[in-house]
Amino acid sequence: MRPHPGTVVIRYRRFSVLLRPRPLAVGIGLLGAVAAACALSVAVGNGETTGFTAVQALWGGGEPVAGRIVHVLRVPRFVAGLVAGAALGIAGCLIQTLARNRLATPDLVGVNDGATVAVLLSVVGGTAGAVGAWWAGPVGAMAAAALVVAVAGGLGDTGYRVLVVGIGLSVAIDAVTELTLARQDIDAARGLFSWTLGYLNGRDYDVALPVGIGLAVLLPPALLAARTLRLLRFGDDTAAGLGAVPTRIRLGALGIAVLLAGLAVGVGGPIAFVAMIAPVLAQRLARESPVPVIVSGLLGGVLVTVADTLGRAFGTVEIPAGVITGILGGPFLLWVLLSRRG
Amino acid sequence: MQPRIAGSSGRRIRPLTGAFAMAAATVALCLVSMLYGGGDIPVSAAFDYLVGDPLRRADPHLAMVMTSLRFPRTAVALCTGIALGLAGCLLQSVTRNPLAETGLLGVNAGAALAVVAGITLLSTEAAPAVLAFALCGAFAASGLVLLIAGGGARMSPLRLVLAGVALTATFRGLSSYLLLSDAATYDRYRFWVLGSLSGVTLEQLGWVLPALLIGVGVAALLVRPLGALSLGDDVAAGLGHRPGTTRVVTAVAVTLLTGAAVALCGPIGFLGLLAPYVARAFTGGGLGGRLLLSAVAGATIMLAADVAARLVIRPYEAPVSVLLAVIGGPALVVIVRTRRLLTLRVPGGAA
Repeated sequence: MRPHPGTVVIRYRRFSVLLRPRPLAVGIGLLGAVAAACALSVAVGNGETTGFTAVQALWGGGEPVAGRIVHVLRVPRFVAGLVAGAALGIAGCLIQTLARNRLATPDLVGVNDGATVAVLLSVVGGTAGAVGAWWAGPVGAMAAAALVVAVAGGLGDTGYRVLVVGIGLSVAIDAVTELTLARQDIDAARGLFSWTLGYLNGRDYDVALPVGIGLAVLLPPALLAARTLRLLRFGDDTAAGLGAVPTRIRLGALGIAVLLAGLAVGVGGPIAFVAMIAPVLAQRLARESPVPVIVSGLLGGVLVTVADTLGRAFGTVEIPAGVITGILGGPFLLWVLLSRRG
Repeated sequence: MQPRIAGSSGRRIRPLTGAFAMAAATVALCLVSMLYGGGDIPVSAAFDYLVGDPLRRADPHLAMVMTSLRFPRTAVALCTGIALGLAGCLLQSVTRNPLAETGLLGVNAGAALAVVAGITLLSTEAAPAVLAFALCGAFAASGLVLLIAGGGARMSPLRLVLAGVALTATFRGLSSYLLLSDAATYDRYRFWVLGSLSGVTLEQLGWVLPALLIGVGVAALLVRPLGALSLGDDVAAGLGHRPGTTRVVTAVAVTLLTGAAVALCGPIGFLGLLAPYVARAFTGGGLGGRLLLSAVAGATIMLAADVAARLVIRPYEAPVSVLLAVIGGPALVVIVRTRRLLTLRVPGGAA
């Protein structure tokens, strides 16, 4: 049997693997982009340690001060951004496929608002300084998502019920956040406001490690879920005929996506737009792959880290990564939209 | 695909009964809105004033409260509620997306950016100026979205939605940047964004009334073409309608209605999502019935939220968007749980 165009079958005795060269090439290309983003992120910053000196210090060359700045401040921040972006990209990919709706993002199930409220509480509670405890984000996100699924009483038809319930509840939660922000004194409110924009300042390995572990643990089930989600595109009946259990797949995919998005929000705040744009772009780049999980993840990581670097590159005031992804992501999505025929 | 509730369980309330019940509730809420409020005016005094007691009418303080505080507020709540309900129903129908809310075409984000930029650059905070910024921003943003979505090719629902989302993100990013660099503007903005009906005047309502009236009129004209469009572009074309033109006109109507509402009472997106769901709980089939019920539902919910905003933490005022969320969030959950959702999808939006 001839393989589907755009795929290559590698056979070895009884074993065979279906390879798609294009997504694979895109993935490898994106790994290169990650490396470039890393060099760029290390090279840019305030102070004197910039440019080539900084990149040199990455391998222990140059002065010890430069080495410390690079290894204590910049590389951890890059890693934190990378894992957060990857988690957002994968979560977005799963949810968009699940709902078959480009408007569906993890924050529809209350992840962002739950995380924001939790961080707000940890700040108002007053033990963790202006950016709050890192674990408050994921815990709040999970709590909100669990509440949404429990209140919705299951996913409903094609997962729509949980999304609409999610919108309803997150509007209610969000109103409480904005009310609290309006009642805080102006300095505290501004500190929290910059967090709600998606800001990676001061994030390091302490924060990146749990997210990295979560990513490593959740990636295999995410790939499995993507495999079965593909079947659902033919309709629930066909999928059931092929041996899949639609409701179980949907719940599983949603759970994975929420966990990933919750972890990501805990690291960098609700970074705008990455969860929405990464899967759209991934779909365009890796055409043959129906559910491009890995490509979405890599793209998410690159987008967040490059945005964070850009935010540090201009002017004296740092601009949060979420603001950059918003400002640049919009026109970028438009370009994607317009360059498409019809 | 014909939008309807497939196999809803249980008995459905008759559409007419629902409409009358909601209209009665609206009238009752208007009365409540005139009778209760902040300040130390007893309910009986307000009631006597309303029924025309000459003694009460002669009281200048009472007359001031009734005619220049409570009446404008009630009228604005009614108008914005109708506008947002209609706009939400139109938008969900034209995008065929049950997740669409009225901020989708960039109206709210554009208004917010204009308000933030206006306060920062022109350093004025007067209410009429803020209203003017919001109105201009809303119309400009939505016009840009339409221009991009309709540019060149035929405007599809997906193009409209994506263009709106993209520009919303850009506007939001730009206003965040301005807000981060200016503390005073952020201080004003964080109250504007909560939305409030306190301090609106009939004069301000008069400024946006043309936009509202045109929007309502266009919505009425759109019932047939938009209903045909829900059967698919080809069928609609076969019935003598123009799908592309219909979409543009609908988007313009949504912009007029939402822009006027946002200028009056801040960015309230949620009502536009909720009202069509309430309407759909009563009626399934025709678009005309759903539009009408959405408008009435929008007015009812807005009035209820505004009255509650005045009463819950007397003598202070709660922001109306918080009350809308607190009342509307659970209401949406109940509706979604008791009825099967219509499962419209963005055509071509599937991965």
